[in-house]
Amino acid sequence: MAASAADVRSILSIPNPPPAGPSTQAKKPQAAERAKKPEGIPRELYALIGPTAPTLVTQFAKPRLKQKPNLGGTSTPEDADYPFAKYNVPATPYVYSQDEYTRLLEDSKWTKEETDYLFNLVRDYDGRFFVVHDRYEFPGRPERSLEELKDRYFSVCRKLVRNRPWAGDEASKLALISSLTYDKGKRASSLSYEVSPVNVPVAIDKEILRKQYVASLENRTPEQIAEEDALYFELEKLKENERRFKKDRDELLRTLCGIESGLPDISIEDDGLASAALDTKKKKKTVAGSVEPQTPITPSASNVIALPQPPPKKSAAKSAAYDALHCIVRTEVEQTAGSSTKAAHIPVHLRSYKLAQPKTAIAPRVFQLLGELSISHSRLVMPTRDNLAKFASLVDAAQQLVEIKKAVDKHEQDIKTSKARLATLRGENPEGVEGGDGDALGTPVPMDVDDGAEAEGEVDGRAQSVMSTRSTRSRKQGRRSMSISSVDTAGGPNPKRQKQR
Amino acid sequence: MASNDRVRVRGVTIHRPVIYGNTAWALTQEERDELPHPDHTHRWTVAVRSAASVPDSDTVGGADDLGYFIKRVAFKLHDTYPNPNRNVDKPPFEVSETGWGEFEVTIRIYFVQESGEKAITFYHHLKLHPWTAVGSGEPEIPTLENALKSGPVHSWQYDEIVFNDPFQSFLNILTAHPPTMLPKVKRRPVPFHTANPGSLEASKGGTPEFQQEMEKEEAERIEKALKQIVEDTHKWRNKLIEKENESNKLKKELEAAIQP
Repeated sequence: MAASAADVRSILSIPNPPPAGPSTQAKKPQAAERAKKPEGIPRELYALIGPTAPTLVTQFAKPRLKQKPNLGGTSTPEDADYPFAKYNVPATPYVYSQDEYTRLLEDSKWTKEETDYLFNLVRDYDGRFFVVHDRYEFPGRPERSLEELKDRYFSVCRKLVRNRPWAGDEASKLALISSLTYDKGKRASSLSYEVSPVNVPVAIDKEILRKQYVASLENRTPEQIAEEDALYFELEKLKENERRFKKDRDELLRTLCGIESGLPDISIEDDGLASAALDTKKKKKTVAGSVEPQTPITPSASNVIALPQPPPKKSAAKSAAYDALHCIVRTEVEQTAGSSTKAAHIPVHLRSYKLAQPKTAIAPRVFQLLGELSISHSRLVMPTRDNLAKFASLVDAAQQLVEIKKAVDKHEQDIKTSKARLATLRGENPEGVEGGDGDALGTPVPMDVDDGAEAEGEVDGRAQSVMSTRSTRSRKQGRRSMSISSVDTAGGPNPKRQKQR
Repeated sequence: MASNDRVRVRGVTIHRPVIYGNTAWALTQEERDELPHPDHTHRWTVAVRSAASVPDSDTVGGADDLGYFIKRVAFKLHDTYPNPNRNVDKPPFEVSETGWGEFEVTIRIYFVQESGEKAITFYHHLKLHPWTAVGSGEPEIPTLENALKSGPVHSWQYDEIVFNDPFQSFLNILTAHPPTMLPKVKRRPVPFHTANPGSLEASKGGTPEFQQEMEKEEAERIEKALKQIVEDTHKWRNKLIEKENESNKLKKELEAAIQP
């Protein structure tokens, strides 16, 4: 092999390497290198290049990694569809209106602003609560724990789902709600947190407990771990002993007393030591072989409990058919005071008497809405129990829609008023407005300081917008409304006066 | 047993499907001439019956005899009729008359004594003239030939009489008479109902009959409407939140503008 290199040299008429001493010394490591010849390079070629041409070798080795990491980020087409995009299922964003907040979501520990802030963060970070918790920084609030954030978020979502009209059936609604509630025990493992961050809700106490537990597991000293292991080992040994002892005892009993004595013992073993699956399997085999083949599995102990259960089940199925035949509906009776239930006896009535009715205040609009959907608000063709329930949810949904529409109208009116007032203010003194804007950027104005004064201001503003804005009287009115609605009239100089100066 | 009879069975709600309404026939000129009131144009029967119909009969409903829980049905006719309070104490619970005009019939059902329940009252608008599609331009009162051609007019309302916590004895009576189920398959036209104007076509072509399909059909109609409303609600809620934010922003701006 070494000769081949010399041959090549002679073929290529390269002068022989200088003195033999150093060359043999150099050859030794060369031979060692050659032993590690990388695959994919012909032997002859490698002999030619040898370790003396490392750049070439690296070039040959390179194609193993087909794609170079594109660190510059220049050449990848940005608009190409990411093949895994379909797995990125966006979570349903939950939003709520002011009205919904005041009706359902009030919480003494949370303000609306903070809840808004939380929901925005959750949306921004796609429900990754660890990130949300990390970035959570609401001004003027002590730090909240991850559990608190989750608890608030999911409780709000639950309430929204529960109270909003639902198009599907009851079961799917309940399924969604339960997906937003804490699944006791198993599912709240840290693993599923990572997988579906939004859909794993929390029971705050249970979660804290779980984390405490994990922390305590982490904090064990090596000695404690060793001790626990030893104890566990000990326990296993004891169990094994117990099993062996029982087995021996069984064998003994069977050989002594025959079939009758063996059976109950077997069943007890099945019951008590179910964990020893392999062992019992063996046992069963021996039982099946030696003793009675048909009844080794049914444990006699549970038979006592199980026996009375099947009959009610059977009769339940039967009575369902019976009830359907006779048009009977059974409801749970709460066993409280007998007298009060007697007083609350519902007299006989036609089913349609209980047809759902909307609130009288908005009834005309609800009726109109139902009319547009060609549903009669006063009569059903078949006023059965199910249809009445369906109709009730329809009326409920229609009512909510009407109320939302009303709220939209109100806000539109508000916006109009505010815009008009703003326009008049700006039209009168642009400098003041500019200053005000700067102010607004610097310090957020507390909105809920004085609702009353604001409402007054609104009334004035509306009156103002109705009147001709150019007249001097209206200007006066505008000034008055300003002094009423501004939070601290003594604080800043009146913009009007400022202009006059 | 006897001591238990007057005990209410708690948590049990039992109902009986019934229908009430009327069927009206237009009279021919000869028939009119024979009447003591030649101005009467129609013969009609107003009735309370069980919901299911007897197969191959031309009466609507009435498969079961309701006499086991209804003691009396009182029909109060228009005051112009002689003796307008008609009490019917045994089945069939119906009143047949002739007349020329539609009016509201007050129906009062008295229950058997075992029920321990008071009478219930409701109303039925006597319908003489054929149903017409809204805005079809057909006259409300057709000519005599047309009325005769289109056959009898049916106007029936399904309902359920619901008993809560019935006495044991009454429950026994009721369960001894299970009601006939409404037919699962469509054998005859459906009765027309104003709450479902779409059923006008399906109601034509013979004596109608109440059927199970009607309940499902109505459930579907309600569900469709509900879906529509939920969709709209979603749209409007987003709009509301948008407006709210805009309004709040404007208010803040306003406030800032007021306080320099």
